[in-house]
Amino acid sequence: MKKLLILMLSLSLVLFFGVGNVQAEYDVELTIIGGAVGEEFETTVRAAEMYMEENPNVHVEVLDSPDSADERLSLYLSFFEAESPEVDVYQIDVIWPGELEDHFLDLYEYGAEEYVDMHFEHIVENNTNIDGELIAMPWFTDAGLLYYRKDLLDKYGLDVPETWAELEEYAGIILDGEREHNPDFEGFVWQGSAYEGLTTNVLEWFASNQGGTFISPEGVITVLNERNQEMLEMAAGWVGDISPAGITAFMEEDARAIWHDGNAAFMRNWPYAYSLSLETDAFEPEDFGVAPLPAGEDGEPAATLGGWNVAVSQYSEHPEEAADLAFFLAGWDVQKMRATDASLNPTIPELYEDEDVLEANPFMEELFDVFVNAVPRPSTVTGDNYSAASSIIYTEVHSVLTGEQDALTALEYMELELQDLTGFEIGQP
Amino acid sequence: MDLQKRERRLAYKLMAPAMVVLLVVALYPLGHVFYTSFTDRVFAGARDAQFIGLENYHRLLAVTVEELPPVIDEETGEQQIDEETGKPVYERPIRVLPRQPHAYRELTTFSLFGSRYVLGARTPNFIRAIGNTLYFTIVSVFLETVLGLLIALVVNSEFKGRGLMRATMLVPWAVITVVSARMWEWMFASSRAGFFNMLLDRFGLIDRSIPFLTLRSFQVPAMIAIDVWKTTPFMALLILAGLQMIPQELYEAARVDGAGKIRRFFTITLPLLKPAIAVALVFRTLDALRVFDLFQVLLARSRYSMASFNYYELVANRNMGLSSATGVIIFIIIFIFAIIYMQMLGVEE
Repeated sequence: MKKLLILMLSLSLVLFFGVGNVQAEYDVELTIIGGAVGEEFETTVRAAEMYMEENPNVHVEVLDSPDSADERLSLYLSFFEAESPEVDVYQIDVIWPGELEDHFLDLYEYGAEEYVDMHFEHIVENNTNIDGELIAMPWFTDAGLLYYRKDLLDKYGLDVPETWAELEEYAGIILDGEREHNPDFEGFVWQGSAYEGLTTNVLEWFASNQGGTFISPEGVITVLNERNQEMLEMAAGWVGDISPAGITAFMEEDARAIWHDGNAAFMRNWPYAYSLSLETDAFEPEDFGVAPLPAGEDGEPAATLGGWNVAVSQYSEHPEEAADLAFFLAGWDVQKMRATDASLNPTIPELYEDEDVLEANPFMEELFDVFVNAVPRPSTVTGDNYSAASSIIYTEVHSVLTGEQDALTALEYMELELQDLTGFEIGQP
Repeated sequence: MDLQKRERRLAYKLMAPAMVVLLVVALYPLGHVFYTSFTDRVFAGARDAQFIGLENYHRLLAVTVEELPPVIDEETGEQQIDEETGKPVYERPIRVLPRQPHAYRELTTFSLFGSRYVLGARTPNFIRAIGNTLYFTIVSVFLETVLGLLIALVVNSEFKGRGLMRATMLVPWAVITVVSARMWEWMFASSRAGFFNMLLDRFGLIDRSIPFLTLRSFQVPAMIAIDVWKTTPFMALLILAGLQMIPQELYEAARVDGAGKIRRFFTITLPLLKPAIAVALVFRTLDALRVFDLFQVLLARSRYSMASFNYYELVANRNMGLSSATGVIIFIIIFIFAIIYMQMLGVEE
């Protein structure tokens, strides 16, 4: 017994000092937490390796986080509530700077001036709070796109749809034809689960049908109007028709899985799906294309502005080094690597003229305007309340998609609750 | 000082550390939740919280009943009839429910003595979460008890490979709930990639795949199915332990007296098993009332249990005050169940 005890003690001492030695190899240990949708995680790890090569005294660890933006926010918030120094650099959504500003450092204090000018101005503006502090460095930008199967459009003699009504019609035609030999075929896949992704989809429906952007930048609630009702009724009709009945539980990767197997004619998704679509066995690379999303009868196409930024935690034990890592991640080399390898859209305009980037992603040149003119969600005007506002929007819309409520009632409640939450005026777009 | 007194003092001294630990790890957090439930504290927020009294509880539990006036057709002066369904038309609930000082939302509508009423609540999702959780708890615990008893009786009898049977039976219980929830999520998948849809399709029972986890009528039954699969072994184990406590002599004596198998089960097994079943029931019920993982993983924000509502209110909407009030209400509901059980089963004796 005594022997065993001594053995255990000495073993734990060895372990203790052993671990201590490993840590002593580096002066600084940094941790970054980021997404793992598509090839995000792999390219973040590669970026970390690039940084470690240049800075041998620093060790960078990469943590992955849930695919759903809401779940990811929940995870981050629990770190912040505990004021945890465990994570130094956070990948944050384009809608979060307003909500999370209290937990991040002002990057201007760490020399961000040198770097910000090369990025898209509208994203830098989005990441700057009212006190002029830079909360996060732009990392990649996103806009909703329509993926379509060229070969199937040709087969049925159809063009790329420009209105939602055309999309509905074409998807129906292809669906009827394809399902005869492929019972798993679907017409149009998108993101219909009750989460932030649904809000981004709905914004595209509403904004492209001249129904407004939920809350205008001036703080007017514009959800309740006939145009939005019409759009919502149309989308509810897709469920179980041109879209699978299970679409109301779909997130990005669920939609992409069906598309990837060649079982969908159209898909609404972010640019990351492009490079992955080149690798599928179900169809050839030249058999698919990307286009701006459809619009309403007399509207203009709208793509929701998405994208992610890197921010440095207030609670980091190495703020200087963490900020340096953030600047590196947001810099030219990493953005170029992530654009060519994973179709993550750069936030540096000049990279859209870079040959390697364009060769890997021809759509980035063709759809440049879509990325620059993407429609932001009302996160600036709602500030602290954005998450709650978005959850009102997607909960109400979700109940229409599942048939629990009619579109008019849902929009009425949406208006009522948004007003309760924000105290804003009600108006027309 | 006499011996008894000294011993008592010693006992208090020895108990003191345990009491301190209990105070720190149980009473302090509980008290803190009670306190926070009276404030408007924001989760991971920088602002100071304000004391708002019972507002959080009012917001969660307030309900109202309003009569829906019939919609009168201007031409005929009679109530309008819906052309499609042939039912009389009433005013829409959203027009009738109060908006000031607090907005109420429709929970359900019902008819009574020829009038139509709407039941409204300030937070219908929480009232529904209570309903979902009670439904889940009652059905799942009932099924688990019945199936657990059957399985326990089987593995209690003598047969070859009994030890192996008892061990393998525990596998579902050993799987981490989140893992088994994901596994079942794939089996319930809304396309033919899902096991159940594949099976139904193979037998030609369906034309289109059924989206089990998004169809409202399937959601809670699906959760119940998973929970029964997972927890029945635990129930069986507890009941098995009770079965083994029953002395064999009783059965032998009963057999000598000519009692049949069924008679023996109802006069010997069941009465003597009562304490074991009682313990198992209390365990499972209190556990089921706190169900979180299944609902959070599989249904996320499309349908809530009390605990998952609490979670989303805290980490997604960042209402720490409101979610603390939710926690207190869950605590009270579980407490009531515990008292009912103690009364009914006489556990304290």
